[in-house]
Amino acid sequence: MDPLTSLLADAGLTGRGGAAFSTATKLEAARNHRADLVVNACDGELGAAKDAWVVEHHLPELVEGARLVAGRRWVRFAAHLGSRTAERLHRAGLDVLEAPPRYVSSEESALVNLAHGGLARPVTKRQPVARGGRDASGRRLRPMLVLNAETTWRVAQVAANGVGWFRGFGTPEEPGPRLVAVSTPSVRGHVVQTEAGVPLVSILDAVGGLSPDAPAVLVGGLGGAFVPTAAAARLSWSAADLAPHGATLGPGVVEVLDARDCPLEFVDRCLTWAAGESAGQCGPCMFGLPALAADWSAFAGGRDRAAYARIRSRVALLPGRGACRFPDGVAGFAWSALWAFAEHLEQHHAGRCDAAERRHERRHEPRRTDVSGLIVH
Amino acid sequence: MNELLWYTSRATGVAGIVLLTVVLVLGLVTSGRRAPHGESATVVIALHRWLSLGMLVFLGAHIATAVAETYVSIDAVSALLPFTSGYETVWVGLGTLAFDILLAVGVTSALRHRLAERTWRRVHLLSYAMWPMALVHGLALGTANEPLLRGTTILCGLVGAGAMAWRWSAIHADRERRDAVAAQRWT
Repeated sequence: MDPLTSLLADAGLTGRGGAAFSTATKLEAARNHRADLVVNACDGELGAAKDAWVVEHHLPELVEGARLVAGRRWVRFAAHLGSRTAERLHRAGLDVLEAPPRYVSSEESALVNLAHGGLARPVTKRQPVARGGRDASGRRLRPMLVLNAETTWRVAQVAANGVGWFRGFGTPEEPGPRLVAVSTPSVRGHVVQTEAGVPLVSILDAVGGLSPDAPAVLVGGLGGAFVPTAAAARLSWSAADLAPHGATLGPGVVEVLDARDCPLEFVDRCLTWAAGESAGQCGPCMFGLPALAADWSAFAGGRDRAAYARIRSRVALLPGRGACRFPDGVAGFAWSALWAFAEHLEQHHAGRCDAAERRHERRHEPRRTDVSGLIVH
Repeated sequence: MNELLWYTSRATGVAGIVLLTVVLVLGLVTSGRRAPHGESATVVIALHRWLSLGMLVFLGAHIATAVAETYVSIDAVSALLPFTSGYETVWVGLGTLAFDILLAVGVTSALRHRLAERTWRRVHLLSYAMWPMALVHGLALGTANEPLLRGTTILCGLVGAGAMAWRWSAIHADRERRDAVAAQRWT
């Protein structure tokens, strides 16, 4: 292990892109295979904003982190086409990899494929992309290390401030400072600097706290899970507390749902949108997601009793069978919705919906109506 | 004796084109909108593979007897190297070329799991060239005025052409969805 890798291993830095994989391990594999670097600043998850924040406020440190990781190898910064992040990176004169505004395009193998002149669609990984691979037509993909922008920034911080500084934040299992993008009905993509172990409500304080009216808190976007408000009020921002709800610290995205928005309709819109975001390559995504979205519509409508059983069986069939984890994430999202909104479903069966009632009471207030408003560029 | 060889060559040739057409049609129905599923799929694919091997037996006899008989001059080399026979160079050559392609298809299929998928696929697609060659070879060299034999070959041609037209026009819903997604913006 070279000095940087052992430094990161001691610090316990894990990826901030969602998978929380050990950065030292990834870096070692990348070094062994002479991989180029792609810094992923796409903010691909629904409601994500922290990568843009890092580029906006800490670009010199980010570039330094990339330089430390890559050495003299090629470094590119990935961002969505036409986003403010991409513009900011272009203005700084950096090599920008522009990904189309699709949900799966910011996935690491999609970026690698795009970097090789292919389409920004995920590729089956028979080994980590840091070791190289082949795309669908057999063309060889050179080893490439894809690191989240926040992770790369943290590399520079650990190198500058040391292991002690880094471990001074968070918990022994989840050390280090963390960014979380928080959204509520009135505030979109506000980035909070925090750490693991703090109460979730303290993270939400910056945006007006957790409204008791909110049906749930969505942790982790489309690949995350719903936490009922009552439970969310008692949770700390840690894997241990989030795991029973099927959530993880993930890509650092928290959304407080709108009390005026029927949660079942919200999930319906998200699942319908997810079905349209398929890369059209693998069964669970091409067919499973539209089927799941259709079943959820039937289920939420309340007329189709068999829809619940269909959703349950589909959710069990989606994971682990695609080139990427998009269907896995959506399956977990739908599953957690079944649990979190069971009580709300009972309301629908009884012929009422308290969200609709609130909407009527507060009909003069502005409200977000479509899921694309969740994507912060 | 020589007459026996000549007639055997002709007969096995006709048997060959019939079998080849059946194998072609079986291959064409394996995918597409009304492809068989489950057990039927197994039967269709198995027939496709085993009939093609059976056809090789008839082809082997067809070629061996054509080379062995002395009425016309086709030497052993012409069995593999196209357009080198003394007798009817072009038409026999087409048959040889078709046989070469068949050998390639057979070998790549036998070694399929050791090859890249696209290699196997590209060689297999040459079957679309092989079948018309075999058909033309048969029609041109069928000097007998026997309408049954000529009619069989023409019928094979019609059936094969019809199956190909059906296959090329019947897009599967999966294919349509895949193409629709691929047409979206991905770069």
